[in-house]
Amino acid sequence: AGRGRRRASGLTGVVVRPHSSRSAHLAPWVPVVGLEIHAQISSNSKLFSGSQVQFAAPPNSLVSFFDASLPGTLPVLNRRCVEAAVMTGLALNCSINKKSLFDRKHYFYADLPAGYQITQQRVPIAVNGSLSYSLCIDNKMSQMVTKTVRIKQIQLEQDSGKSLHDDTRSQTLVDLNRAGVGLMEVVMEPDMCCGEEAAAAVRELQLILQTLGSSQAVMAEGQLRVDANVSVHHPGEPYGVRTEVKNINSMRFLAKAIDYEIQRQIEELENGGTILNETRAFDSKLGCTVPMRDKEGQQDYRFMPEPNLPPLILYDAKSLPANMNHQQVINIDWIHERLPDLPSVKRKKLVEQYGILPEHSFTLLNEDGLAEFFESVVKQTQMKPKKVIGWILKDLLSYLKQHSLTVKESPVSSFLLADLLNLLEKKEISSTAAKQVLAELWKGEGKTPLEIVKEQKLELLQDQKELEQICQAVIDGHENEVMAIKAGNPKVLNKLIGLVQKKTQGRSNPVLVKQLLEKKLSG
Amino acid sequence: MVPRGVAARWRRAATAPGKGQGSLGGREEAAAGRESHAACLSPAGQPLGILDGIPIAVKDNFNTAGIETTCASNMLKGYISPYNATVVQKLLDQGAVLLGKTNLDEFAMGSGSTDGVFGPVRNPWSYSKQYKEKSVPKSHSEDKESNWVITGGSSGGSAAAVSSFTCFAALGSDTGGSTRNPAAHCGVVGLKPTYGLISRHGLIPLVNSMDVPGILTRCVDDAAVLLGSLAGHDPKDSTTIQDDFKPFELPNLTDVSKLSIGIPKEYHAPGLSSEILALWSKAADLFRKAGAKVVEVSLPHTRYSIVCYHVLCTAEVASNMARFDGLEYGHRSDMKDSTESMYAATRREGFNDVVRGRILSGNYFLLKQNYEKYFVKAQKVRRLIANDFVKVFRSGVDILLTPTTLSDAAPYTEFIQEDNRTRSAQDDILTQAANMAGLPAINVPTALSERGLPVGLQFIGRSFQEKQLLTVAKWFEKQVQFPMIQLEEVKKHDSDVFHHQKSASLS
Amino acid sequence: RDKPSAVCGVSAEARGCRGYRAGGGKVSVEVLDHLEHLALVDFRDAEGVERLQKAIQFADQLHEVNTNGVEPMDSVLEDRCLYLREDDVTEGNCTKELLENAREKVEEYFVAPPGNIPLPKLEERETFLQGSQ
Repeated sequence: AGRGRRRASGLTGVVVRPHSSRSAHLAPWVPVVGLEIHAQISSNSKLFSGSQVQFAAPPNSLVSFFDASLPGTLPVLNRRCVEAAVMTGLALNCSINKKSLFDRKHYFYADLPAGYQITQQRVPIAVNGSLSYSLCIDNKMSQMVTKTVRIKQIQLEQDSGKSLHDDTRSQTLVDLNRAGVGLMEVVMEPDMCCGEEAAAAVRELQLILQTLGSSQAVMAEGQLRVDANVSVHHPGEPYGVRTEVKNINSMRFLAKAIDYEIQRQIEELENGGTILNETRAFDSKLGCTVPMRDKEGQQDYRFMPEPNLPPLILYDAKSLPANMNHQQVINIDWIHERLPDLPSVKRKKLVEQYGILPEHSFTLLNEDGLAEFFESVVKQTQMKPKKVIGWILKDLLSYLKQHSLTVKESPVSSFLLADLLNLLEKKEISSTAAKQVLAELWKGEGKTPLEIVKEQKLELLQDQKELEQICQAVIDGHENEVMAIKAGNPKVLNKLIGLVQKKTQGRSNPVLVKQLLEKKLSG
Repeated sequence: MVPRGVAARWRRAATAPGKGQGSLGGREEAAAGRESHAACLSPAGQPLGILDGIPIAVKDNFNTAGIETTCASNMLKGYISPYNATVVQKLLDQGAVLLGKTNLDEFAMGSGSTDGVFGPVRNPWSYSKQYKEKSVPKSHSEDKESNWVITGGSSGGSAAAVSSFTCFAALGSDTGGSTRNPAAHCGVVGLKPTYGLISRHGLIPLVNSMDVPGILTRCVDDAAVLLGSLAGHDPKDSTTIQDDFKPFELPNLTDVSKLSIGIPKEYHAPGLSSEILALWSKAADLFRKAGAKVVEVSLPHTRYSIVCYHVLCTAEVASNMARFDGLEYGHRSDMKDSTESMYAATRREGFNDVVRGRILSGNYFLLKQNYEKYFVKAQKVRRLIANDFVKVFRSGVDILLTPTTLSDAAPYTEFIQEDNRTRSAQDDILTQAANMAGLPAINVPTALSERGLPVGLQFIGRSFQEKQLLTVAKWFEKQVQFPMIQLEEVKKHDSDVFHHQKSASLS
Repeated sequence: RDKPSAVCGVSAEARGCRGYRAGGGKVSVEVLDHLEHLALVDFRDAEGVERLQKAIQFADQLHEVNTNGVEPMDSVLEDRCLYLREDDVTEGNCTKELLENAREKVEEYFVAPPGNIPLPKLEERETFLQGSQ
């Protein structure tokens, strides 16, 4: 907990102040965070074989002879995986290499049947990109800053299988269903300085991947896996020794793990210790990172060109060969033209088109389907988008969160909500009544807002005479207040309006009530 | 077409020179099964294809579904592959009878076919009248048995099977000369096609960037038929070229005057026997006299091809052999301490010294600190070697003519004096460069040596110009009239076996 | 000129010196040990080590060749474009066939001994190199 609180200083600032008095004279520490993100490509079949890609299946049922590394089998590249990587590269402002190469990376592990992984070490498919992401300062939605992290490269590579360690029987069970699934490894330069930045960057990447459809990027299903490289140093000095934090399997733990590791390194250094270049795992139960037993120090992957895959050649409109089988051609320009709107563009469009606040556009995109829901409501109602957004974010979203529902699972459709907001907009009900109707709608009993209004008699008093009588009665009954207003204290008018509302059980239009009261009092 | 029953007679004939664990690894049951299958189909008048009923043997580093595939290694003893190599499938689809799997050096690492777990392959010519008449035992008391000569390798089993009439044709593999070398020693045609023309899917790799399935037959025409059945793009092998391949028949060349034959001077390699040198000159004269242009050419970097090959081969071997860990298939040690210790024990028990040696050297060359110095350096030298050929062919030369081996086949007892690497370095010296450059090359049996053993010459052609290469080889084959093997013991049993050479050849 | 066998010798000569000569350089016991760890193949005996020495010495001939400005060559198909397959499911569902060749299995799983344990250190491992440190 103590670490968590100290973390606060590192949230937005670039530096973390040393807390030990002994080193108080020193410059503050600068944490440096880089990320390696593995995103599983969303495809029907694996990167180099025709076996199916599926999250849950009986063990070793999604395995081809190649995936099991049977002698004599050869890799054959899946076109879809290449296109997904190109899309992702373009979305991350990378330059796409017209010629990229595959390499073998050697190490022995029970779930790596060939004894090597095919990856792109020398010339990856995309390089030199950038990703802009935003985060709020001090948890205030109103203060957002936009930052950029450089993307070093995106490489295509094979996923490994899964090992289940059965300690009681001292054996390892190996399932190769995942072996050979296509991965995009996205390498982010160490341009971040705290867990929150890293988490915001990963979140933005996740949104981009999901928008492109190049990866489903669900962390809980292992489709997005993050390793963080963390080091600290004093300003003006070279980067410190870095550690690699692995096993981060949720967005929440990502920030926690990185911030823990930053603090651990600072404490270690301030206590006169040294940082080892090691791999550490984040233990989500203990909330800390622990060293992993591995061979990192003496590991040598003995990279070698993959001899069974000639260079991967991509084309653009200029270099497109005329007489080639189009199924064998990947045209970068063609993919570029068909990229969907990226989250940043979508947000900008939302802000411009509907006049909503930038921070609201973030919230809209952060929930899958929420922006679409919002736009759908806007289309079906006369209410101004600026007003609609409040209903979406305050009422709909908080209800969904409370009940752990996705937008798609919402009991209130965009049509019903629009219906309700139209009643409000047409001044047929008050906003208080509208909330009551909404509460009824959540029950999902299939009633329309109008039916609920009728049933519960929530419609506004349309009879002006009746309303005038009620106003008169309130004036008559509250001489003191009337005196105060006449003496020049207009705030007291609100009390009278409230009283009228109370008498009408919220069915009166406050604007109209105010007009009537003012008219009567000035008379 | 070939009459029914030919396969059976071939098989009977073959048992004579085989002498135990020699040419065929004793796995003939599967072949017998296929044979009856083919026999069922053929009489109906519906031949499956051009190879219907034709017995073909396959080197035991090609996967054969349901039939043991061992690479002559303890590592894969008893391994039953669930699939057929593309080339095997193509043979079967054309009606061929898979006669059996042939012996080799363990994982095709060798040039003698002496280093496999089933023992060495004996050259059928050891038992020929020609050899017996001419070879002089060192002493009278010396056991005749010890005189037998090796087949060369690593496709020695395949070469022996074709040479001894056990089968019509055989598949070998060729990474540094493994098809042409035993073809030369066994007096048969050995074709290494252009890299990328025939699928390697299902061929257990030695060096992926140089391996090519090889074709062993008794005449050049037969090689062309096999090539026609096997070549073409395979969607399971990304290194097969996507261009269409059209099977061809070889014309009878009558005029060679438009041909330019290159004689690479660097192939006067140290250790080249005077006999072979003389034969080579004679062959060049033959072309010259027939009107061809014969020019001396230079391939200056070819002398480094063996060194270059040594590095690239061991590196790939280190990588390719990493999959043999005992977990999913193959030999598995009983060691249970940890995954790594089980792997290490499995690999210690499963591989012979040659394989282990190459794995260790290859890993050394791939170490981070050695990668540039050795591996990348070798890749650069490879380009120089390949460019030499490009230059020569660009200068107008059509075909290169070289010896295939330095000498005729060595007696086994002599051969095993040297270690495997040294032997390979010597034996592949004339064949390896073609693999570096991916070029098609063929051994054509040319004459018998003073000892009565076969000697062959090699033709190397331009990439994907197999038709031209084979046409020239066929012309040469006709000129030299290589003598037929005379297997005395076989003659006694089945004297008509030799008549089948004509009927066996599809020409 | 050094004959490698004279320098590397048999185990009796090898023991007691911290490494072996290779092509004029030395392959240290550390590197040999490293190789055994990486390759999961052991040298077995002095001959195994000698084989590596000779292999390195042989490879050193490459350095006689001037390769300035020469691009490394991965494959003779470097100018051809890589074949791409469509994203169709055409394989899999062959669990039984695959497991048939595995010596040990539990239900539909392949089975390995406990993982994440590196090979023992040189002095605790059964290796020829042990005597030479």
